[in-house]
Amino acid sequence: MKKHCLSLVLAVLLIPATIWAGGKSEQSEDARQSITVYAYDSFVSEWGPGPLVVPAFEKKTGIAVNLVSAGNGGELLSRLVLERNRPQADVVIGISDELLSETVASDLLLPYESAALSQIPAFLHFDPTYALLPFNYGNYAFVYDSAKVTEVPRSLDDLLDPRWSKSIILMDPRTSSVGMGLLEWTVAAYGDAWLEWWKKVKPNVLTIADGWSSGYGLFTEGEAPLVISYTTSPVYHVLYEDSDRYRAVVFDAGNMAVIEGAGILRSSRNIDAAKQFIDFLLTEAQADIAVANIMYPVNQTVELPAAFDFAPKPQVSLMLESERIAKNRDTWLTEWVEVMSK
Amino acid sequence: MGGGHEQVRQGKGSGTYGILDMSRFYHALSTPAVVLLTFLFLIPLSIILSKAFVGIDRGFSFERLASLVTDAYTWRILRFTLVQALVSTVVSVALGLPGAYVLASYRFPGKRIIKAICTIPFVLPSILVVLGFVIFYGNNGIVNNLLRMISGSEEPPLRILYTFGAVILAHAFYNFPIALGLISSFWEQLPSRYGQAAMTMGAKRFTVFRTVTLPRLVPAILSASTLIFLFCFSSFAIILVLGGGPRFTTLEVEIYRRARMTMDVEGAAALSLLSIAVTLLLVALHLWAQRAMAHQEEMESPGQRRLERRPESLLARIVLPLYALATALFVLGPLFGIIYRSVQVPVSRSGDSEFSLRWYRQLFGLEEVAGSAFSVAGSAIILSLIIAAVTACLSLLFATMLAARLRTRSGSKELTMELFAMLPMAVSSVVVGLGYYLVSNIFPGSRSLRTALVVLAHVVIASPFVLRSILPEFRKIPFSYTQASLTLGATVSQTFRKVELPLLRSAMATGAAFSFAISMGEINATLVLSDSNLVTIPIVMYRLIGSYNFAGACALGTVLIAVCAVVFAITESIHRSRYV
Repeated sequence: MKKHCLSLVLAVLLIPATIWAGGKSEQSEDARQSITVYAYDSFVSEWGPGPLVVPAFEKKTGIAVNLVSAGNGGELLSRLVLERNRPQADVVIGISDELLSETVASDLLLPYESAALSQIPAFLHFDPTYALLPFNYGNYAFVYDSAKVTEVPRSLDDLLDPRWSKSIILMDPRTSSVGMGLLEWTVAAYGDAWLEWWKKVKPNVLTIADGWSSGYGLFTEGEAPLVISYTTSPVYHVLYEDSDRYRAVVFDAGNMAVIEGAGILRSSRNIDAAKQFIDFLLTEAQADIAVANIMYPVNQTVELPAAFDFAPKPQVSLMLESERIAKNRDTWLTEWVEVMSK
Repeated sequence: MGGGHEQVRQGKGSGTYGILDMSRFYHALSTPAVVLLTFLFLIPLSIILSKAFVGIDRGFSFERLASLVTDAYTWRILRFTLVQALVSTVVSVALGLPGAYVLASYRFPGKRIIKAICTIPFVLPSILVVLGFVIFYGNNGIVNNLLRMISGSEEPPLRILYTFGAVILAHAFYNFPIALGLISSFWEQLPSRYGQAAMTMGAKRFTVFRTVTLPRLVPAILSASTLIFLFCFSSFAIILVLGGGPRFTTLEVEIYRRARMTMDVEGAAALSLLSIAVTLLLVALHLWAQRAMAHQEEMESPGQRRLERRPESLLARIVLPLYALATALFVLGPLFGIIYRSVQVPVSRSGDSEFSLRWYRQLFGLEEVAGSAFSVAGSAIILSLIIAAVTACLSLLFATMLAARLRTRSGSKELTMELFAMLPMAVSSVVVGLGYYLVSNIFPGSRSLRTALVVLAHVVIASPFVLRSILPEFRKIPFSYTQASLTLGATVSQTFRKVELPLLRSAMATGAAFSFAISMGEINATLVLSDSNLVTIPIVMYRLIGSYNFAGACALGTVLIAVCAVVFAITESIHRSRYV
């Protein structure tokens, strides 16, 4: 019986090995002609920008791109730090402004002032050292179900109204970047008194999800009429479900912004190819990235599909200085837990 | 330490091939499993965990651990983590026990299907379980909408979710199949003559159960409880979402916060070390209890295997279907929720929807979607099936080899090894993920190598399961069988293959099914180790959800459910037919 089992195992192991042996030859191409790009998983995925952007770049420049899914959010930076002694990547895509301080402090990235930056408005130049260059951005926003909400909240204060009792789905800032975004939003809006907003909003919160995925899923299941997400979220429903039922609201006092950055690793042996890739990312790839990520492009010359009309742009994009975030993040989280877990 | 060995050798070593040969044989058998665990798991993990001792000034220090242990918040969340895991375990076992009894003692139509269906919750990623629960039990869910139609009220009549109860309910949904599977396969092999004897002497059925059967089930119950407890100990997505937020926080949430949100790998390592210490202490207690309480059990030989009865008494005829119905509603409800959502397409703004197979057509590439290559489901299914099948075979092989070594439970060395084999379940997946970065960094490149790594990682994750389902059964094999075989001239390896292995079939089938399911649903290790070159079903599901397509994810979830149901049903029928 064991013999059978063993030969079965061997056979099954060999099948995939022979099928994919072909993939190996790509690796042996001239090193000068290929770069490795680390990105977050949804960038790489079938529905992400990767499958559109990479072939277009390869066709234009002849440089092969090895696109690697290297984790989400903070994982990307953790991984680069862990790999410091055996670096694999030439370019990293998807470290947000949230982690700017830590990224600059790690000294892993090479500053690069791309010519394309001139087409990007000044408020998006979030890294004055240009180790990270902005490639797309979004604004956090409360998204509402227009089938249930008639009187739309216009400010963070409006959300404290008792009529929203158990009507808002939020995310935990300890496990979700969107959750952290809202925490920072309240700091930007109320300064030292930010925790007061959280104390008062508690009765209106239905649940605080572990991540955007489960939180937004609860929202579209109709568990609550309000959820924290992005101003661009309605675009998906218009594009793929032909529905304008879910809408984002921009607040008069502004919405918190999140800017995603890309950078070149100092350790790269293909700095020139990496620079070309960054330039491409900031220019020709912009429309594809915006549509696939459902975020705003940073490059102002880009034309977007009409569905983006359902992504209202706030008058004010709120941001916090990255040093302040890095210095206080842990304290904020501890204070937040203290208030919210009672 | 060697005392145990010595005793066994002197007391029972009388065959042509001595016990020395035997212990050498079993030592050799366990080597591959130990090597795999060491290189793919223990070494990367130790490197990550060692960061817990990096002080603020980058030198060696205990300050991180000390500050954790002195923080009241740590103790508060540790207490909650333990309480929810304990309650979830008790509820899961309590729910599974009657089912295990039914499966072990009665013969009725549809039994195989029931067993297969009960393993399904296990393959679902937690996000889909959350969605399934919300679709079924939610304020706007199927149950509440039905009740609203009946009662005519606007408010949701049943508010189950976002409470501690909902957490326990979801954990039980996830975990009671473990209790059901492990206990029933052990129970099936339990000799019925003691119970019959007790009944002949006038004992009531329940008294027989309490005083004769239950004590004999202890090894299986403990095995199942350990697994369930460890699962719930590291749960967090379900707890946060369905519990309603940070009121219910487990250690895992705080580990996640440090590893992923605040870039504090050292802090994550320290907290993880604390959690490993606690879980290993508890597992060690369990193993010790198991040793102290379990008696060497005689095994029903296949020939005398008790005839499964048909339900005859009135009580059985009423209670059995009621239990079956309740369990079916409980398990099938959320699964039905997922399936229901997958065939719905919104048609109007107010939320009306109609039946459609649109998401399936898109998944299988029959309908082109603007700007995306949707036809990935086919290849993902094939890849997932291959990986899961190889994982099931390999983990079965490894765990059986380990079990052969551990069955004697003679010395503290064996106890250490048993603990060591349970380690993959006791460590936070976030921390294991960090360890895999290191592994992945050492092996850049080819797709086939990555596939092998993913498979091996799945084997590491699944092995504790298979081990826990085989070990109690292995320990029941009377030593006299082995001795007899050796005396009659069989070699040690022949004895292992021809005498011992056939007696373990039932437990091996259960273990393999779980291992298959774990591999089908695994996502963390796959994401890290494959660098996205390998696309399995859970990865596609995760990506669909990440790009707003929840209905598409439910469609793929339905495919996953269907594939697993078919595979389990096939395995179950093979495993049955061998007896008859």
